Amino acid sequence: MNTILTVFKKEMVDTLRDKRTLLTAIVMPALLMPILMYGMSKLTSSIMEKEENKKLKVALLDAPADFALELDTAKFELIHGISIEDGRDQITSDSLDAMIGFHKQYAENIGDMKSGKVNMWYKSTNLLVKDRLTEVVDTYEEKLLDNRISALSLTRDAIDPINLIRYDIAPKNEQIGKMVGGFLPYIFIIFCFMGCMYPALDLITGEKERGTIETLLTVPASKFSILMGKVLTIALVGLSAALMTILGLVVAIKFLPDLPADILEAMTNIVGIKFVLMLFAMLIPMAIFFGGLISAMVVRAKSFKEAQSIVTPVSFLVIVPAVIALLPGIELNWSTVFVPILNVALATKEIVAGTIQPIHYLMVVLSLIILALVAVGVSYQQFSKESMVL
Amino acid sequence: MINVQNASKTFSLSKQQKKELQTTASSINAVNSISFECQPGRVYSLLGPNGAGKTTTLRMIATILQLTSGEIHVCEKSVKTQPNDVRAKIGFLTGSTNLYDRLSPSEIVEYFAKLHGMDKSTYTQRMDMLFTKMGIHEFSKKRIGQMSTGMKQKVSIARSMIHDPEVVIFDEPTSGLDVITANNIIDLIRQCKEEGKTVIFSSHIMSEVDLLCDDLAIISKGDLVYQNTMDNFRSEFADISLTEAFIRTVENSSNYQNA
Repeated sequence: MNTILTVFKKEMVDTLRDKRTLLTAIVMPALLMPILMYGMSKLTSSIMEKEENKKLKVALLDAPADFALELDTAKFELIHGISIEDGRDQITSDSLDAMIGFHKQYAENIGDMKSGKVNMWYKSTNLLVKDRLTEVVDTYEEKLLDNRISALSLTRDAIDPINLIRYDIAPKNEQIGKMVGGFLPYIFIIFCFMGCMYPALDLITGEKERGTIETLLTVPASKFSILMGKVLTIALVGLSAALMTILGLVVAIKFLPDLPADILEAMTNIVGIKFVLMLFAMLIPMAIFFGGLISAMVVRAKSFKEAQSIVTPVSFLVIVPAVIALLPGIELNWSTVFVPILNVALATKEIVAGTIQPIHYLMVVLSLIILALVAVGVSYQQFSKESMVL
Repeated sequence: MINVQNASKTFSLSKQQKKELQTTASSINAVNSISFECQPGRVYSLLGPNGAGKTTTLRMIATILQLTSGEIHVCEKSVKTQPNDVRAKIGFLTGSTNLYDRLSPSEIVEYFAKLHGMDKSTYTQRMDMLFTKMGIHEFSKKRIGQMSTGMKQKVSIARSMIHDPEVVIFDEPTSGLDVITANNIIDLIRQCKEEGKTVIFSSHIMSEVDLLCDDLAIISKGDLVYQNTMDNFRSEFADISLTEAFIRTVENSSNYQNA
């Protein structure tokens, strides 16, 4: 135990002085979520504000006079006397934003209480153009509808017989949990793996590449203790990377502008002590599993470059189950509870939503512990072979 | 004391290695049933051309490699059955100054002292003595990555000697080092001898051997082809230089091995 602790302490000091590992395992995971969420939110709101206030150039073809009045000249620049072909060309070349054309029989049809045909040309790639014009057309239609209701001596209720009122009784935690809970593990599983990857390359392959392993093997300590000291360091760095991701997310939510109070409250409720403890119980064996797995793979590599080429393809394999967990309909049940990584992602989703079944959770933790032990065992088997170490 | 009895080492060859060595054999004998003994207070030198099996022999003594057959005892402890007891008795030093770049000399030497199970007061005292003797104190807090080869070599020595080993194994200790740094190693070997330690070192530099060793053995293609005291070796080849004597011994053994 003393040797494990000695190796662990030395490797931690060594690893924490490695800028590359610090960047991958601590800085990047901590900053990614705040930058992504805050940046995206700021960018989106700025773009939307700009698009909403932009004066749209709209061509009108055979439009009734009262429709043109619906278009606020402060927000729309109206163009008249243009052909359909010219209008389409100008929209394509971005010199016109949209064109609204009323059918020749439109006025007649409206007079006969029939439906009047209105065409709208726009580019869906221009944000909000369609929405802003649809809103104007809808308002105009509402006025026409009011006129008809009045002419026929009807009431609004007469043409709208069903008044459907929806009640979403899913707790806010569950609603947000299903949304964020799927995305969160995707991020922290990847960072946990990457967090394990760099120290593993440095502490296992690096030791071989630098030639320090030879001297280390002449000390009166078992190979198992030396390996365990290393695997625990690797796992702790991986665990820190995962926790930094979660911490980054919490910070991002706390300081995210324009976040509705109820969502903020729900998020604060989710990230409680129970959530943290339940997550920890899964993350610890998962990080040891990653640590053992990567160590077993890189122990055969003679150089850092060779080790990277061995581990990089595996990082893609780790992403796959995390992505599967994002798919709708994939839930934690007896078929998915033992699938590594997928089970962690699904269990996190359920924990956040508050819908996890205790037996499923226990099975996930148990299977992760078994996997971690197997990974460490395989890693020790590899580390014990002199052909692998030297 | 080191007692090597019929020690052999066979390495399995991977496909890549077979290709590189242009052989179809599934294994290669690096060391063939060699026997010798190194006494305390004497310096034993293992000589041989590159690839002769010197490093493999030293690694077997240091328990880094397992023996395929035979037995080695270090201070009466078996490398097969008591490897940790053997490791506690030995210090291992190579010419390449392999250290941890992000740690300081103090941290590295303390790390190895702890791995040797030394208590803090003992290793602090010993570290202070070694650092003073080798002039490490002035750069003891500096990171290894920022040091010269000479400084690194001093730290390597301190690391290998921190637990005051009874047996010191040097694997081509001056290889690739400048004259001043190499001289530090030669001084260390002399000092170990004076302290009554058992010293074994591998080399192919005859001047070093002439200067330091009391007994020598020559290995060629995994076989121990010659062993004697240094005095007897000098008398046996009195009419030629030591380098010529070494070459002649190796060539004679090759002719014999090929016959």
